[in-house]
Amino acid sequence: MSASTTTQKGPLAAQLAALSMPAVLFTVAMIAFPFCYTIWLSFQSISPTGMTRFEGVGNYVRMVGDDQFWNGIYVTAYLYLLSLFLQLVLGTALALLLFRAKKLPGIIRSLFISPFMMPPVVAGMMWLVILDPSLGAANYILTSLGLPPSAWLASPGFVVPTLALIDTWQWTPYVALIVLGGLQSLPPSVYEAAEIDGASRFRIFYRITLPLLLPTLVTATVLRSVDLLRFFDLIYITTQGGPANASTTLNIYGFRTGFEFFQLGYASALMVTLSVIVLGTVLVLNRLRNTVAW
Amino acid sequence: MQLPLNLSRAFAAALLATTAISGAAAQDFDWKAHQGETITFLANNNPWATNVLKYKDEFEALTGITLRVDTYQEQQMRQRLLTVLNAHSDEIDIFMTLPSREGRQFAAAGWYRDLKSYTQNAVSPDYDFDGFGSALVEAAVFDDVLTGVPLNIEGPILYYRKDIFEKCGLGAPSKLEDLPEISAKLKECAPDVTAFASRGLKPALPYTFSNFLHNVGGSYMKDGKSNLCSDEGKKAIGLYANLLKDYGPPGAVNYSFYQLTSLYREGRAAMSFQSSNEFPAVMEGGARLEDTALMPLPAGDGGSHPTTIGWALAVSNFSSNPDAAWYFVQWASSPEMQAKLALEGIAPPRNAVAENAGYKAWLSEQPVRQEWQTALGHLADQGTSEVGYPIIQNPESREHIGQAVDAVLLGTSTVEEACAEADKQLNALIERE
Repeated sequence: MSASTTTQKGPLAAQLAALSMPAVLFTVAMIAFPFCYTIWLSFQSISPTGMTRFEGVGNYVRMVGDDQFWNGIYVTAYLYLLSLFLQLVLGTALALLLFRAKKLPGIIRSLFISPFMMPPVVAGMMWLVILDPSLGAANYILTSLGLPPSAWLASPGFVVPTLALIDTWQWTPYVALIVLGGLQSLPPSVYEAAEIDGASRFRIFYRITLPLLLPTLVTATVLRSVDLLRFFDLIYITTQGGPANASTTLNIYGFRTGFEFFQLGYASALMVTLSVIVLGTVLVLNRLRNTVAW
Repeated sequence: MQLPLNLSRAFAAALLATTAISGAAAQDFDWKAHQGETITFLANNNPWATNVLKYKDEFEALTGITLRVDTYQEQQMRQRLLTVLNAHSDEIDIFMTLPSREGRQFAAAGWYRDLKSYTQNAVSPDYDFDGFGSALVEAAVFDDVLTGVPLNIEGPILYYRKDIFEKCGLGAPSKLEDLPEISAKLKECAPDVTAFASRGLKPALPYTFSNFLHNVGGSYMKDGKSNLCSDEGKKAIGLYANLLKDYGPPGAVNYSFYQLTSLYREGRAAMSFQSSNEFPAVMEGGARLEDTALMPLPAGDGGSHPTTIGWALAVSNFSSNPDAAWYFVQWASSPEMQAKLALEGIAPPRNAVAENAGYKAWLSEQPVRQEWQTALGHLADQGTSEVGYPIIQNPESREHIGQAVDAVLLGTSTVEEACAEADKQLNALIERE
């Protein structure tokens, strides 16, 4: 390497560093600082009147003995697993339908994917009206068909499945779009070979499509996991965590603890814990994605 | 415990009396004194703010002050407020506040500017601070600090269907303890409608439940301890929860003002115990104008102690323009403005406005409007602003009250189990304070 190249590299590196500085500063200001500040807050006791004192790990110790925390973990996990399962299954099915129906008019395709473009608050208000046990359309349809009405969001046993169904209605098209992208990138030669060998459609799907789609499905899982583990807006609009605490996810519990009950230190500890859960899940899923990559 | 409003008038009178000596200051009052300044108002997107902000240009023309407005729904407004006040930021000069909910907390934190001296020394000649109902003024006083100026008066009242009651041969309920029997008869006679509806949503129900508790003679605290497991407390929890469980709408556990208004307006409830503020929304479309009667919750064994609260307008203690901010408070709570708002169905906190000829003419257009005003008069005379525990952590106390009632409503606990669990949690909360 000549001396002139080395001297040229120095200013180039400096220029590149200067160019990326705004992005670095933005990241630090908008992500790193709030996160570090929340961690610092989680070690404080902050009273509703704003008095602050160092609490050490007291907030985390309190969490272990807090029934509401464990209820939040349970509801978060239940809602996450149920919603994710439904969205992956139905999203894949919808993607296969859209992939095969190549002549489907654009307007129909747009209708299929329109729910996830709707703001969650609007979707929440809409479903709140539809599922109202007294005045809503859902029970009207059920009773018109001779079926018993449901309490939907007002039933402690049915509220989480109902929320999962609403979220599935909204986000299945998003999963379908990701899977559709994956389907379009699959090598046609493999399918040609399978057809020549006389493989059935089900066998082709089970033995070829699904294994080849795994990296795409894991990507969809990662993206949905981040949202589902932080599930908030739909619950906040429809049930506020009720009835009783049947839909109080960890995120809802942390929010209410902080902004309604003014215990910012404890709420920060809850949020740090939730962040660790989200981060841990994403890391595990990313490793899984590497193992299924082809 | 917060004093019943009728007993506290003497306390507020001292504050009101001091305004009498402020006549000289009023004569020197200049609306243009803060011309060119800018103030920021954090508003709750409710009918009061919506209506008053229609006249924003008039305020700016009158004072030369630029008014910036930040409007949010109530919950979001409170989040923003908490963040700003906790940071001691001067970003917000004026905000709407519910003294019955956060008054004690915000006052203890020193977040309110004391408006007492403003009401004495910086008022226009026609402001008439004495004209506010003394009970509402007192409800906004914490530790001798006047935290806000009353904007309205509200509380839960009983909306009921005269036609259904008549069809079923029933008269208006005269005693709280009669409600289950009346509801049972309504359920049998008019099975297509819900006999009794009220709030069931956990954080929202203390607003209506408190009236039940006080009317049966109960109280939230006694000798510094939670008192929900007293005989009266258990009676109130049982009565309220079982009314909703046996005669309430399906899904009552998620009911707040929105569902109650929709249900009653659609003609699907025979009785609905809900906010007086919802009166214009309930009457929207006119379907309920002719067949509805209004009354305070019937008295119980402990008498009649309706829940009476009101929004107030406060100035932040961290405002860099408190004097200009007070000008907005004064303009927005003036007799002239409150008379205009009364015609939009916002119950006036000033006695003089209730006597205003225009307002009286509006009331006389429909008998139900007159009943609404009569019920509000009862709330003003007999009301208590105790919604939840009279502690700094009042919002969290409401959570435990709601949890106890909902546990009985959902059938997951007996009254004894629910009140015992609530008392345990609430005593821990009181101790933590």
